Amino acid sequence: MTSALVSAALEVEDAFAANELFQKNGWTDGLPVVPPTEQGVLRFLAAVKLQPDDTVGVEPVRRRRITAEKVAIAALMAGCLPEYMPVVVAIIKALCRPEVGLHGSTASTGGSAPFIVVNGPIRTALGMNSTHNVLANGSRANATIGRSVRLFLLNVLGGVPGQLDRSTLGHPGKFTFCVAEDEEGSAWLPLSVERGIPAGTSAVTVMAVESPHQIMNEWTHDPKEICDTYAAAMKSNMLTYSIWEGNYAVVIPKQHRDIFAESNWTKANIREYVFEVARVKRGEWRTVGKAAVAGRKNEDQVYRALRTPDDLLVIAAGGPAGGFAAIVPPWYGKKSLAITEPIVV
Amino acid sequence: MTLMVLDPRQSAEGEALRMAPALQSLEGAVIGMIDNAKIGTERLFDFIEEILRKQYGVREVIRRRKPDASRPVPPEMLAELRGADAVLSATGD
Repeated sequence: MTSALVSAALEVEDAFAANELFQKNGWTDGLPVVPPTEQGVLRFLAAVKLQPDDTVGVEPVRRRRITAEKVAIAALMAGCLPEYMPVVVAIIKALCRPEVGLHGSTASTGGSAPFIVVNGPIRTALGMNSTHNVLANGSRANATIGRSVRLFLLNVLGGVPGQLDRSTLGHPGKFTFCVAEDEEGSAWLPLSVERGIPAGTSAVTVMAVESPHQIMNEWTHDPKEICDTYAAAMKSNMLTYSIWEGNYAVVIPKQHRDIFAESNWTKANIREYVFEVARVKRGEWRTVGKAAVAGRKNEDQVYRALRTPDDLLVIAAGGPAGGFAAIVPPWYGKKSLAITEPIVV
Repeated sequence: MTLMVLDPRQSAEGEALRMAPALQSLEGAVIGMIDNAKIGTERLFDFIEEILRKQYGVREVIRRRKPDASRPVPPEMLAELRGADAVLSATGD
């Protein structure tokens, strides 16, 4: 049988043997994989009308051209269905934008993961989860689309821990970290629309992030107090992790959204308020054990978490009950930015 | 019946890198040093430069600091290092 695919084919006894081979070769994240057969990969390529050698993107630092064939293999291995491919392709395109700093974020000791937010009609078409347990397991699509990115980084870009991936700790989001926004459960503008994508067009937003920080405030109906709690987590991150300004994401479940709705607060109101209050003085580093660097510059200097209100990505997602939210901090401040990319279906 | 599965790795195009031949001696050599802009690199390079000059007879050191640790050396900065016999590049923190 002739094939348009260029990947070397390896003969194994069955799917179990295939998994053992991939485990032994370090071609997986440690979890079992679906064996990538030629027939399967061609089905995934057909779902996005791409030829195997088509370029999905070019990783800008090492100038590595990423072919559709290898993206399809990663998605299939991760457990995706072929119809998830448009989302995976859009994610890879977005990650290749120089502003993301994919090489640095993959290699850094800081150990970040690409956080993925999906908007638009494709969410419901694929059965993506945007409510209960949204940052964790809840739907095949969320889990496997996110995992495709890890297998892509591992096998296509060589992000092998201890080799190119020099993460000191990493975090659980490196296995998979993909959410859908709860557009049906929110009157707010979807994230993608706020970031310039037309309403009704599906899109992904990607951002290199550290682990999410869950907060709780169930004791107020004042939207400012809710935002003060969000800002406190951001300030904590500024002092204990990195003081540099850049994108932050906040994932807001229904109970907090209802409080904002009572006061007619939009996402823009949240961004503007948090922009003003999420700031620390350099001297505060002394309170967290960083006295050695606090005094190197003026200790009264004020540092903001966000360059502008627009740096805060506000995402409506999460289960219906519970006064929780999550702050998702950036890997490297403004040197690695969130990017939104339309999904071609 | 057996199963044929595909290698998921992408081979590196244009990355057929090989080791440059080692310098026979550092005596009289010109050494480039690329500081990765991390907080401790300058001090580390000060020590290395001193060792290279005093113990190994290095003639000249061309030191440059990258604008950003997580991005490649800008082409114009690389061009400035063209006259070096060897280049040290700091990685990590």
